[in-house]
Amino acid sequence: MTSSEFQKRVDPFLDNEVELATAQEMQRHLEECADCETLFAARLAVRHCLQSPELRFVPPEALRRKIRAQLRKEIRPPLAHFNWLLRLQFPNWILPTLAGAAAVLIFWFSSATFISRLGLSNGENNTLIEQLVSNHLRSLLGNHLFDVASSDQHTVKPWFAGKLNFTPPVFDFSDQGFKLVGGRLDYLGNEEVAAVVFQHQKHYINLFVWPQNQSNPLSDASLQKEGFNLYGWKANGLTMWAVTDAAPETLKTFIELEKQQMAE
Amino acid sequence: MTASVLPVNDQERLTRFESELLPLMNDAYNLARWLVQNDQDARDMVQEAYLRAFKFFGGMRAATSKAWLLRIVRNVCYDHLRKRQVSSDSSDSNQEALLDTGPSPEAVLEMKSEITVVRKALAKLPEDFRTVLVLREMEKLSYREISEITQVPIGTVMSRLARGRQHLTDLLKEMRAKDLL
Repeated sequence: MTSSEFQKRVDPFLDNEVELATAQEMQRHLEECADCETLFAARLAVRHCLQSPELRFVPPEALRRKIRAQLRKEIRPPLAHFNWLLRLQFPNWILPTLAGAAAVLIFWFSSATFISRLGLSNGENNTLIEQLVSNHLRSLLGNHLFDVASSDQHTVKPWFAGKLNFTPPVFDFSDQGFKLVGGRLDYLGNEEVAAVVFQHQKHYINLFVWPQNQSNPLSDASLQKEGFNLYGWKANGLTMWAVTDAAPETLKTFIELEKQQMAE
Repeated sequence: MTASVLPVNDQERLTRFESELLPLMNDAYNLARWLVQNDQDARDMVQEAYLRAFKFFGGMRAATSKAWLLRIVRNVCYDHLRKRQVSSDSSDSNQEALLDTGPSPEAVLEMKSEITVVRKALAKLPEDFRTVLVLREMEKLSYREISEITQVPIGTVMSRLARGRQHLTDLLKEMRAKDLL
């Protein structure tokens, strides 16, 4: 191999993008040619510089949240899918009949939904539960657990106040074994909700809070899903769901503390 | 406000999209930041890229999600740079951006030597060279992946890397020489 041949291929050689046989030839050439060795050393030096981790830029944590919020705005009810309905021709009687049927269905569905929203009797609203569990899981991965890390309720509560149009209750139950560790904004469906985070021994509890829907009945729901324990209830105009991998009795103790404190 | 339940398809698609592509945000931001050279623009670029990616998610793809996302980031940044060049046709804006992103005075003192010099030199390189160097050295991507992202043949990737590295070597030599004087 000549020096000019070496020089032409020095970059793919450095990048491991030449055939094995060529690489071996180039290796041999390196040992006998001082000029090419200097060139190769310079390439290695540049590589070394560019690979310093300090050269990388790290995005601000807020960016992830902003992107997630924007993506949710992108999702709209898929009305476009029903455009074909407008192009159909109907006999005269069918539209009033359909409208009547639709009204009945809507009434039935909305009552079914609000029963299921907390009662979960018909399994229809499993999506909410799935989202709660997946938000809880996601919060434990990486460092997404909180946007504001503090065990001081007077720090966490005002933090939420500036970001949401409702104020979640924030208490610290350290004395009872449930330490307040922070808060963050989260999403359920496309709505922004508060997540207040507690720690009990090695377990975390995510308490999701959002304003109560007027029409919903007041009832408590306790259930298990994918190994997590969930408890939902309503108080002071808010809907609350606690999700944790701690034992059901532990969760119950926590819920009682929350309820007691909120009633005061 | 209720936790309204999205249509399952959209929700699933979003969940899948987020679990596949959000972990790549650091890489996306690093590339954008090196291309547009300031934090605010880089954030905007990354956001825009994610929105575009979501629109086409499930459709056209590259060999890997990373290559696919970075291609979109690179395109968004190039569009932006082109517009910026048209709107302010002075080279000052680039210089300002450079000053903007510089480290704090304390930091300069601390690591005046290597990192600062390398950062400045890389920032000075023409975009095409900077792009391939970031993708190769920081993201450790193969020539094939870089070719997918930059939409040029592998041979061009190779020659851009060669010229980029040579250019950078010369620049570093020059800057260090000045530093000594």
